[in-house]
Amino acid sequence: MDQLLQYVITGLSVGMVYALIALGFVLIWKSSSVANLALGQIVLLSSWFTYSMLVQANLPPIVALPIVIIFALCLGWVIERFALRPLIAQPILSLIAVTLGIGYFIEGVITFIWPWSVDALPTLFPQEVVHIGPAVISQEYLWVIGICLAVFVLLTLFFRFHRMGVAMRATADDQMAVQACGIPVTRVFSMSWMLACVVAAIGGVLISSIGGITHGLVNTGLKAFSVVILGGLDSFVGALVAGPIIGLLETLGGGYLTPYMWGGVRDVIPFIIIIIVMVIKPFGLFGEKRIERI
Amino acid sequence: MSLPCGIRNYNYAQDMAIFRTKTHWGMLIVFLVLLFTVPPLTFNHLWLNTVNTIGITLIATLGLNILVGYCGQLSIGHAGFIAVGAYTSAILTNRFDMPFLVGLIAAGVVAGCVGIIFGLPSVRVKGFYLAITTIAAQFIIIWVINHWGLTGGFEGISVPYASIGGLVFDSDVKQFYLVMVIVLMAVFVAKNLMRTKVGRAFIAIRDNDLAAEVMGINVNYYKLLAFFIGCFFAGIAGALLAHTTYYLNAEQFSFTDSILYIGMIIIGGLGTTIGPMLGVTLVKIIQKVLLPIYMVPWLENSITSLPAGFATGLAPIVFGLIIVLFLILEPRGLAHRWNLFKAAYRLWPFSY
Amino acid sequence: MKNKKLLIINSIICVALLVVALPFLSACGGGEDTAGKTLKVGIMTPTTGIAAEKGVPLRDANMDCIAYINTELGGINGYQIEAINLDSQYKADQAVTNINQFMDQGCLFFTTSASAEMSWVQEIANRAGFPGLVCYSSPSNYHPPQHIYGQMPDYGDDWTAFAQYYLDNIWQGTGKPKMALMLLNNSTGAGAKNAAMAMADAMGIEIIAMEEHAATTISEMESLTRVSAMNPDVIYISSTPQPTSIIIKEAKNIGLYPNVTIGVCHAAMTKALVDLGGADIIEGVYGVFPTIVSWDEDAPAVVKMKEYAQNLHPNDVNNGDYIAAWAQSLIIAEILRKTLDAVGYDVLAKGDAESWAAIEQYGFQGLDGYDVGGLQSPVNYVAGDNRLGKSLRINRVTNGVITAITGWVEAPLIKYEDYDWFGN
Repeated sequence: MDQLLQYVITGLSVGMVYALIALGFVLIWKSSSVANLALGQIVLLSSWFTYSMLVQANLPPIVALPIVIIFALCLGWVIERFALRPLIAQPILSLIAVTLGIGYFIEGVITFIWPWSVDALPTLFPQEVVHIGPAVISQEYLWVIGICLAVFVLLTLFFRFHRMGVAMRATADDQMAVQACGIPVTRVFSMSWMLACVVAAIGGVLISSIGGITHGLVNTGLKAFSVVILGGLDSFVGALVAGPIIGLLETLGGGYLTPYMWGGVRDVIPFIIIIIVMVIKPFGLFGEKRIERI
Repeated sequence: MSLPCGIRNYNYAQDMAIFRTKTHWGMLIVFLVLLFTVPPLTFNHLWLNTVNTIGITLIATLGLNILVGYCGQLSIGHAGFIAVGAYTSAILTNRFDMPFLVGLIAAGVVAGCVGIIFGLPSVRVKGFYLAITTIAAQFIIIWVINHWGLTGGFEGISVPYASIGGLVFDSDVKQFYLVMVIVLMAVFVAKNLMRTKVGRAFIAIRDNDLAAEVMGINVNYYKLLAFFIGCFFAGIAGALLAHTTYYLNAEQFSFTDSILYIGMIIIGGLGTTIGPMLGVTLVKIIQKVLLPIYMVPWLENSITSLPAGFATGLAPIVFGLIIVLFLILEPRGLAHRWNLFKAAYRLWPFSY
Repeated sequence: MKNKKLLIINSIICVALLVVALPFLSACGGGEDTAGKTLKVGIMTPTTGIAAEKGVPLRDANMDCIAYINTELGGINGYQIEAINLDSQYKADQAVTNINQFMDQGCLFFTTSASAEMSWVQEIANRAGFPGLVCYSSPSNYHPPQHIYGQMPDYGDDWTAFAQYYLDNIWQGTGKPKMALMLLNNSTGAGAKNAAMAMADAMGIEIIAMEEHAATTISEMESLTRVSAMNPDVIYISSTPQPTSIIIKEAKNIGLYPNVTIGVCHAAMTKALVDLGGADIIEGVYGVFPTIVSWDEDAPAVVKMKEYAQNLHPNDVNNGDYIAAWAQSLIIAEILRKTLDAVGYDVLAKGDAESWAAIEQYGFQGLDGYDVGGLQSPVNYVAGDNRLGKSLRINRVTNGVITAITGWVEAPLIKYEDYDWFGN
């Protein structure tokens, strides 16, 4: 029973990390129907940039973190302006492939500038653990959960009430109609990429302050895809609900299946979930079902 | 445009022929003679291994091209399917002492069947969803390979030399002939398959699967068939890879490789047979010869204060950039440029 | 006039003699003619690709040390070592290309840095009888022993050495201590797992869990919870620094550490572990290491190594891999020296199967306790055991610094090939 509680708490907290990264994905999909497969690399790049600011340039966090946000905004703008915009109205295959290319490129840039594979960010949060009954949770994860919820609320409000948010939703629905109404579609795209990169940067800083910066962040980005698939590609609520579900399945599955299966089963559970969801409910829990016409 | 001046077709067979004129046939024969004599006789190990790698990769990308370029089913887990083929052949020849040819065929069939299993979601989803499924396939396949006893787990498995009858392919010159013969067969099959009913069905599904279904094409059957054929090629490539490196472990089949395979067919040109040839040749020569042997040492000598990660970072930067630039500037790939060149050559000196 | 004629004749004779003698004179300068005669060795390093972080200092150290041997020590008995360095890119097909080039160019033997590189080429080398030396080895490289030799003990030996040390010096209870293994999902983890499977019963250790994790893990709470429920006495982690730091941090959070002893393998026992985990958390962790861990240690070879690194590759100063590769090059020189003494240059000049056999017989198998400048355990060959260095030191993180707490502890040979589960 103690174990179960610990599994649940760990699963929920790790799941929120996935959810946070997934939010960045949903943001772009919602406004431009582009699947951003370079998500993990963007997370990694922002983490390394934060490292440069905090450790190499030795700036205090209060100065460094705003610089990181500005960097993320610029990164999003550059990616959209120079790689995605020329491909507007191209087939989906090109759009997916171009993000793969961007991801590969970013990996090279990271190796170029930070050739060592692993380093530590200074701790941003208190290290003491919090006890919940017999189980423990690291305070860092409580911060992650809090920030993730805050980002979720902000994004939801933004899409619900802000002019730009409404424009983004409209753009996702029908680009032609929106353009005819005089909404600058290109600016909408550019804005969504900038916001998505900021969300990715926040995720990157949080994860790497807990576990250090490693290439593994790219794989964490891949695992976040299982969250968006389960939650639905265009739903913030979906990401927020599916993240903890994936996290729970991971720890519960790992916890109770490992003795009966090959080792490391926990790490493939998200991928097995992807396959299952695809066959049973391809548009996810909260995703919009699209009806195709000829 | 696709026909030299003054050539007329008098029947259907002539119209459909790939090699129509005496010049075509002459060039084909000269090309084949050069292909089978020049590399094995004159190339050093570096170049010969590069050519062998190009051949093996070409077989895999021909399969990927059928799947992605012709049938429109995006697969980003091709390295996983290659791994299935490689391990199938390795297990059969090493653990069960089967002959190489059995391993080779079984590699293709098993990889094809695994492809069908992971292609099943394609019945319901497409585009990005399918891409994610194939990524998942890659990770699940590698996990199974790492834990299943027969595969040797993390330690890996050694692979005997390929041999047919009494002929043992134990040097890269001999392997060159083995690889090239299979490459020619693969090109022949890939090129002609797309001119049959099956190929036309694939193209119809790629262009609009709903419309194809309305026209009476069994979409699900053909999608799964595309997965089988695409992964069959991957399996054959994997088996050859196993028998030219003699040792397998799962680290050889990375997700990055899967991305690069997609990159190769994009650079070459989707939905053409010449495309993968051009794309693979370009990428592999850059990757194996141009960057490490010429570019990096030259840059390191001429620029003194290079960052430490320069040599490692260069390859991903170059390939990432090439993929993005091709998508933006020449989405039809090198194959389109090749066609333009052929047309210009035929019409010269008149440019219309 | 007579004098003048004599002078001319004399000078002509002198010039003629000089011309005839010139080659002899210059040749006799070194006692024996060694000019232009080299001993070729193939050195493969993952200089680019995903392992470049380790590959670059390894390559630097190999090249620096061979330059040092050639210039300051005058080569091997006057013969220069010609190091042919090729980059494997940490890719199988490139490694295969490289070993073919080594054999073509008449190398006497070859080295690789990583066990993975060796695993890709060992079949070719074994089939050709081309001897190889691998720096960071895994048991599958030389079990069963053929033509591949390990420079240092492998990940399995890490476990045995630590387990023996734990039993002798730390374990206070009665009965068998309960050990949990946290293993990385590649050959690093598999090495420790195999050793534990082979030796735990005989040594008197009860293995209660073998948990596997990925290099990309962000939390190991789940497996630690399971381990914690079984009340382990000692946890052994065979992994790289980042996952290891996460495991130790979370073990502390969950209340396992410091109540249980934690030991880590040599891949994790680096400064990066202390940086990532935080010095106060990692404090007291034990770890094994096959070379010296500090550049300030009192070993004879350190002086020159420091000097060359500071002059040629200042970035590599204080790097652990640099030490390992410097030691590797010293062993390369020793192997060549042994073979030269035994068979002379003519046999080695051929660079063919005969030279390879000589290198293996007199070089590798002739090693008898060479101390490698104190950088690692002495190397010697015992029939049936292709590990050249067999000993490790136990280290402990004390005040945030990795400090050696024992001398060289020998790890016994495990005959993996006798177990039917090995390689299956």
